Amino acid sequence: MKKMKKRSLFFTVIMYSIIFLLLFPLVILFVWSFTKNWPWPNIVPKAFGLRAIKYVFSPTSKSLKTLLFSVWLSSVVTIITLFISIPAAKALGLYKFKGKRLFKLLILAPIIVPPVAVSMGIHVTFIRLGLANTFLGVVLMHIIPCIPYGVRILTNVFEIIGESMEMQARVLGANPYKTFFYITLPMISPGLVSAGSLIFIVSFSQYFTTFLIGGGKIVTFFMLMFPYIQSGDRMMASVYSLIFILTSLVLFVVIEKTVKAYYKAENYFYI
Amino acid sequence: MSRLELKNITKKFDNKIILDNINLVVEEGEMVSLLGPSGCGKTTTLKIITGLIYPDNGDVLLNNKSVLAVPVEKRETVIVFQDYLLFPHMTVEENIGFGLKMAKVDKKVRDKKVKEMINLVRLNGHEKKYPRELSGGQKQRVALARAIAVEPKVLLLDEPFSNLDGRLRENMREFVCELQKQLKITTILVTHDREEALMTSDKVAVMLEGKIRQFGSPEEIYKKPATKDVADFFGEKNYIKGTIENNIFKSRIGNFKTTFNKFSKGKAMIRPEEIEIFSKDVDTGLLGKIKKKKFAGDRMYYNILINDVEIKCITKFNKNYNVGDMVSVKIDFNDAVFFKEE
Amino acid sequence: MKRNLKPYVLLLPVMLVILGIFVSGLVMALIQSLGYFPVVGLKDITLKYYKEVLTDKSFLSSLSFSLYISFTSSIIAIIVGILLAYSILRSNKKERMEQIVYKLPIIVPHAVAALLMYNVLSQSGILPRILYNMGIISSQSEFPSLIFDNRGIGIILAYVWKEIPFIAMVVYTILSNINDKLSEVALNLGANKRQVFFHILLPLIMPSVFSAFIIIFAFSFGAFEVPYLLGPTAPKALPVKAYIEYNNPDLTHRPYSMVINMSLTFISIILVWLYHKSFKLISKYDG
Repeated sequence: MKKMKKRSLFFTVIMYSIIFLLLFPLVILFVWSFTKNWPWPNIVPKAFGLRAIKYVFSPTSKSLKTLLFSVWLSSVVTIITLFISIPAAKALGLYKFKGKRLFKLLILAPIIVPPVAVSMGIHVTFIRLGLANTFLGVVLMHIIPCIPYGVRILTNVFEIIGESMEMQARVLGANPYKTFFYITLPMISPGLVSAGSLIFIVSFSQYFTTFLIGGGKIVTFFMLMFPYIQSGDRMMASVYSLIFILTSLVLFVVIEKTVKAYYKAENYFYI
Repeated sequence: MSRLELKNITKKFDNKIILDNINLVVEEGEMVSLLGPSGCGKTTTLKIITGLIYPDNGDVLLNNKSVLAVPVEKRETVIVFQDYLLFPHMTVEENIGFGLKMAKVDKKVRDKKVKEMINLVRLNGHEKKYPRELSGGQKQRVALARAIAVEPKVLLLDEPFSNLDGRLRENMREFVCELQKQLKITTILVTHDREEALMTSDKVAVMLEGKIRQFGSPEEIYKKPATKDVADFFGEKNYIKGTIENNIFKSRIGNFKTTFNKFSKGKAMIRPEEIEIFSKDVDTGLLGKIKKKKFAGDRMYYNILINDVEIKCITKFNKNYNVGDMVSVKIDFNDAVFFKEE
Repeated sequence: MKRNLKPYVLLLPVMLVILGIFVSGLVMALIQSLGYFPVVGLKDITLKYYKEVLTDKSFLSSLSFSLYISFTSSIIAIIVGILLAYSILRSNKKERMEQIVYKLPIIVPHAVAALLMYNVLSQSGILPRILYNMGIISSQSEFPSLIFDNRGIGIILAYVWKEIPFIAMVVYTILSNINDKLSEVALNLGANKRQVFFHILLPLIMPSVFSAFIIIFAFSFGAFEVPYLLGPTAPKALPVKAYIEYNNPDLTHRPYSMVINMSLTFISIILVWLYHKSFKLISKYDG
């Protein structure tokens, strides 16, 4: 018995150590965001201040406007991706058909095949079609990496709820459209919300695709943040990152509180 | 209320025959059981009746008119599924009123009807609850009320009691039977439970491997199974080989009188509960030795050896003998069903 | 007949986007890599760019640098991730930890992970400061440069930081599903916890770990941000090299970039195939 306790203490220590290592850099990021002056070799800043935060929120920096624009762009991406993912997920979750595996693989592929190659390959075509440097072009590019997440989560949802509720509605006299709006849509809504929040974040975090296809004309919040990270301006980069993380976090928490689940969907994973 | 007829229904999935030439007539207001083991095609039959599945061959007739061209939502045949399938995002009231809402029934009329239904299935006080707050029996009653609310031409019950246990199951069964008699809804009950089928229905259709093997009254099905498959499906039985000549059945356990005379060589099927045993001083002309004994509460199961032939027998719990005891056995071969030896 | 077509109709919108942008993007890259780029007058299909690039030393060192980074970071992430998952399972504070570990990778993008590593590991980062104050190093320059270094330590650690929670959650989900039922059986049969881990849990999570490995490997292999932000001048990770070639103002240079893109794609297609195989392994244990 004593030995058992020791063992579980051992694992608790390991768990806290790893989680500490994961959280520690975030704490440093947080501290940097409120720092005025932090010279070598101080372990804590010499002076705290809100200079960086004030700058980000000042009208001249356009950060807030860009943040709102990013939220808008990612919302558009989210809605379109969900819209096309629902039917696809229904097909993959409920029906058996020839070539299903190939479809699944094609839909998953954008997670594995580098977006760098895809964006550079399609760039010329986008220029020719007038999609380069446009809002629409960037939205289309963002949809690609979002599809695997949208379709996979919703496929899982359809697998769980099955087709039987729809059948029940049909025999009770609901036509296919009414069945969709009164039964299917409410039933999948918790899945739609979790898929939607993940899609939003995938789109929100796109750098290379926005950078290449947007050609500097379409500027997202991530694009504003990137040069600061690149130049090693810790204070500014940290503030931008903090705002970025908080935006995602707020989205997540709000969504988690508002969704009522009728079923327990499988955890979804995101890299 | 309607008369339902299935004509030569055939259905294949991936070249596997699920339903093979199904013919079935359910008269107006009748309750018919579709009885068979799981996977024999019962649920597929229901789905074909409602239009959720289209048959490869054959026809579905309601009041002598083909309804194959009528889409699911207009066919007015409602299934109550095994797991109730209450819409989780709707209250009891909303669930029951769903079909009426879809049919665009006026809100006032709808509310009245829903109230009526709630009274009928005795769910007063639960109107505003969500399905997750209900017990199994209550869910079942909501599902039933929801189906009946649209006044379907045919009500289809797919294993409706299999998720309930013990007492509740019996109560619900009785409740549904009463309701069906009261409302005179043409009903098909799909079940794998023999007792359930026999107890509840006007007629029973025994379905095995996608075919209807026998269709008749519960008594007929049980006492005079048409084929060995049907007999086998109805649980415990004894087969005794022998020959029949001049109304005498000759077998290794002895010779017996019988009214049967259609063929001369065959097997007699006797149900274990049709065999009686007495203490050996009662003279039945047939002696046997108890080989095995099992106590099952209200009944006793005995295996009795008569001239090396083992016979199963079920008696009341108070007939208590020990292994090795000699007992008198009484078998009436006038009750036996004979199957021809192949 | 109508019913048979339904799934394909439902898949049509997604497939239009996948085929129209994703697949055709790759096809365009392939065509350009073969030297067909009519905009600047290149019209001959040729393998010359492939020959040149694939024998180029700097390409080969980029390729091995990329493979090395992905492999090392993925292996470390897998080991620590499994350890973390098992520790959470064995500790009694599951719920809270699970939540933290689960959300962490979702809300922190890769570029921010790069910044985190920069904040901690660079020569003016918090780690050398701590070491200095503890008296372990006596000046900034004594701390080895872990950022922009040609061993890619900064890049590797950024990936490891980002991927540990991912692996931990994948593993934790499976572990908690099998743990309760199977380990009790095994313990009952006389196995100790160590044996249960190595003989029951580990073999059962292995297929999922393998497919998770492929995903993080592929991701770190093809991602641009982290090596772009933390990588050395030479060797460059393949995606960064592809972009630099792409950015060459001489457009006739384009096919070189596309050959690099095609090598990235080719390797990732092998990974997709392996991933597909790994699913067969996973379903082996089902039912």
